[in-house]
Amino acid sequence: MKGHSYKAGIFLKDESRADWHDKTLWMVRQKRDKAARSVADWEDLRERASSIKEQVLSNLDFYLSEFEQRAVENGVKVHRASDAQEFNEIVYKIVTDNNAKLVVKSKSMLTEECGLNTFLEQRGLEVVDTDLGERIIQFRKEPPSHIVLPAIHLKKEEIGELFHEKLNTPKGMSDPVLLTSAARTHLREKFLSAGVAITGVNFAVAETGSVVVCTNEGNADMGVHAAPVQIHCMGIEKLVPQTRDLAVFTRLLARNATGQPITAYTSHYRKPKPRGEMHIVIVDNGRSDRLKSDIHRSSLKCIRCGACMNTCPVYRRSGGHSYGYLIPGPIGSILAPSYNIKKHTDLPFASSLCMSCSNVCPVKIDIHDQLYKWRQELSEKGAFSPVKGLVLKIAGFILSKSALYDFSGKVARVALKWLPRRMVYSKINVWGWERELPAVPQESFKKWYSKNSGKNNL
Amino acid sequence: MNRDNLLTAKDLIPEFIESLAHVGAEVIKLNGKDSVLAYISENYPECITFENKEIWEEYSFSCSKEKLEKLGTIQLEGRFGVAENGAIWLDDNCFPNRLLPFIAQKVIMLLDSGKIVKDMGEAYDCVNECGYGVFISGPSKTADIEQSLVFGAHGPESLLVFLY
Amino acid sequence: MDKIRIGLFIPCYIDQFYPQVGIATFELLQKLDIEVVYPEKQTCCGQPLANSGAEKEAIPVYQNFVRNFSEFDYIVTPSGSCAYHVKEHYNILEQTEQVKRVRANIYELCEFITDILKIDDLKIDFPYKVGIHQSCHGLRGLKLGSSSELITTRYSKVHRLLEKANGIEIITLDREDECCGFGGTFSIFEPHVSVKMGKARISDHERNGAEIITATDMSCLMHLEGIIRRENKKIKVVHIAEILNNNRL
Repeated sequence: MKGHSYKAGIFLKDESRADWHDKTLWMVRQKRDKAARSVADWEDLRERASSIKEQVLSNLDFYLSEFEQRAVENGVKVHRASDAQEFNEIVYKIVTDNNAKLVVKSKSMLTEECGLNTFLEQRGLEVVDTDLGERIIQFRKEPPSHIVLPAIHLKKEEIGELFHEKLNTPKGMSDPVLLTSAARTHLREKFLSAGVAITGVNFAVAETGSVVVCTNEGNADMGVHAAPVQIHCMGIEKLVPQTRDLAVFTRLLARNATGQPITAYTSHYRKPKPRGEMHIVIVDNGRSDRLKSDIHRSSLKCIRCGACMNTCPVYRRSGGHSYGYLIPGPIGSILAPSYNIKKHTDLPFASSLCMSCSNVCPVKIDIHDQLYKWRQELSEKGAFSPVKGLVLKIAGFILSKSALYDFSGKVARVALKWLPRRMVYSKINVWGWERELPAVPQESFKKWYSKNSGKNNL
Repeated sequence: MNRDNLLTAKDLIPEFIESLAHVGAEVIKLNGKDSVLAYISENYPECITFENKEIWEEYSFSCSKEKLEKLGTIQLEGRFGVAENGAIWLDDNCFPNRLLPFIAQKVIMLLDSGKIVKDMGEAYDCVNECGYGVFISGPSKTADIEQSLVFGAHGPESLLVFLY
Repeated sequence: MDKIRIGLFIPCYIDQFYPQVGIATFELLQKLDIEVVYPEKQTCCGQPLANSGAEKEAIPVYQNFVRNFSEFDYIVTPSGSCAYHVKEHYNILEQTEQVKRVRANIYELCEFITDILKIDDLKIDFPYKVGIHQSCHGLRGLKLGSSSELITTRYSKVHRLLEKANGIEIITLDREDECCGFGGTFSIFEPHVSVKMGKARISDHERNGAEIITATDMSCLMHLEGIIRRENKKIKVVHIAEILNNNRL
């Protein structure tokens, strides 16, 4: 299987581009640090965010029914979908019931997860992603490479080329201001003619039944307020108990994501507009199962800020597409196996376990520990090749017996010392592809100790 | 919103102004609402305000999107501002149509400088019950192309805040 | 008062490939008036297995570790990563008194010196430009210093010990605590990214004028040294125990 390691190798072939990718995202990480430092009680905020999410996850049914009840009282039509198929069908029905042909959609990882665009397009509808980055990758027919910065893998010249082809901009035009302006004109047309607007949801407030959407571009609002029908799609984990709780999350989210003090627009949708229709679709799609797992439930706290990607030295040097899952980076690597354990065996290993991800996580998900636990789970569930399993068993046996360990160490050292270089550095020595092995010493520490420990003065 | 909740400490105004600059908004501070209105009518004669009932009706939900799309500069008044991030709260009572703050090319925002809270914690204590409400912090922006900051992604290209 | 009696744990790769680091640790601790015992039946902390997903297979290795080390006042090791592994991941063993003792009393060398012995100044000379590579498990796991992601008071136990050395110049890195890319078996499962990360780490040190890269963990340094030697670079790696033991280069 061509996993993360293989794809990362390809990504790294163009070294200067890989360096550019790394620097761009590191800059975002630095902006995040600066913004976080401007808040006196940052670490305390993270703690509070984490405990609010914990409270929600521990009482999810209660908050869901409170939310649903309030939303219905507000005149909102609430739908529940147990899986992706059901979700897609619900949305499709709303769209067709309203005779809409064009749907505009602001960013929603949930709709990506459920494959909504494809589902609607296969049924003859036009779906336009309105976030600029999302529109770019939609034109390119590729998945986002980052959850907050979907087109971060692309250079402006490539976007210029793409817009020339799709939007008829002058050839060679690559100024971000001009490209953005071209997209603005193109998307305004779409906003004004769309029959339905879809948004994701950042937070849903149980006590009021409202949903909160954060954007910088204003594309969620352009869509929602222009179209007669608005649909907000949320996973069951998006709830917070009270409006007050939003204070904690709105202080954390944008600062941690991009280093902004808050997104340009933090929109609170509670009731439909006059003569408008408002729907909220609440989706499970495997979340309840994860909630039942003591080990993996904490990943449900994620507020999709993307900071773990920006800080991850592996993500920055392998690119989002190397993960082969719609949410890349550390958080994606702990989410992906719960959807498809066989397909994503490689992802929990696509980390050096440096723990930076857990340190930036605004809701304190123990991401590094989740990665570690997934590794154990994958091994227990037999997801490894038999060879790897056997090697690990033998290694375990050797390392538990000191005499065997001493002997094996000696054999290895002697072999490394006397074997010809071309044998030591053969293709199977992955370490040696681009690195030297350590020079072999005369004796091990243990040997030295047994010779010298008797002396009083060393 | 209960105005009594909002006891702006004087020192929040500079922080608020600094935050606004940081998020890409322009700020002008004048003494009294009358001088702001005079300033606007002199410098932005094309600016549409929704203060009188007829104009409010004209631009309410039955107004065509095409007409709204042609809007240049509009004037709105925020309910309160947040010092830590330059956000200004508006709700359904601040405009006749929810699309207005987004579809106009330029938004001029009035704000009583006595209505500034410290942070989002205080802000959510002041948020009122409404069908729709939004914190607006600066003009519409994007950095989706190589992380270059560009104003006016979809919504207004500029936001001018008048504090009085 | 009786001397503090410690069990010296020398990680498997140091034992086999970098005995001089073990020797420096041993000598340094002896100089600090401590009774140092090296239990000769020790092997490995089990981390290479566990990080590969074979935690269950590592249990006999863990048990061997506990058998060898439960009798000491403290366990000291020149590796933040191994110390962290024992503290954090021996939770899957039955928590007997011995296991609890081992987990509570294991210390990485630097933190043992600063926190238990309360020594800052080891009266050493090291007239070089030094870059400190903050190994992740020591930094973020054992909290030997404040990591750059956290908005907390800045500190570093390693810096505290090194900055007292005569003649030393500690350079400032552009990225103060980015991972070197070793990551145990990560270096084998993900060789391309691992090496790329290592190269970035080395060039950060070079760019900022370091002659020596030091760290609490020889594993990071083994990885960096592998790249340095392959690319015939001038910069050198030295484990912190060798500096603290006042070894001459």
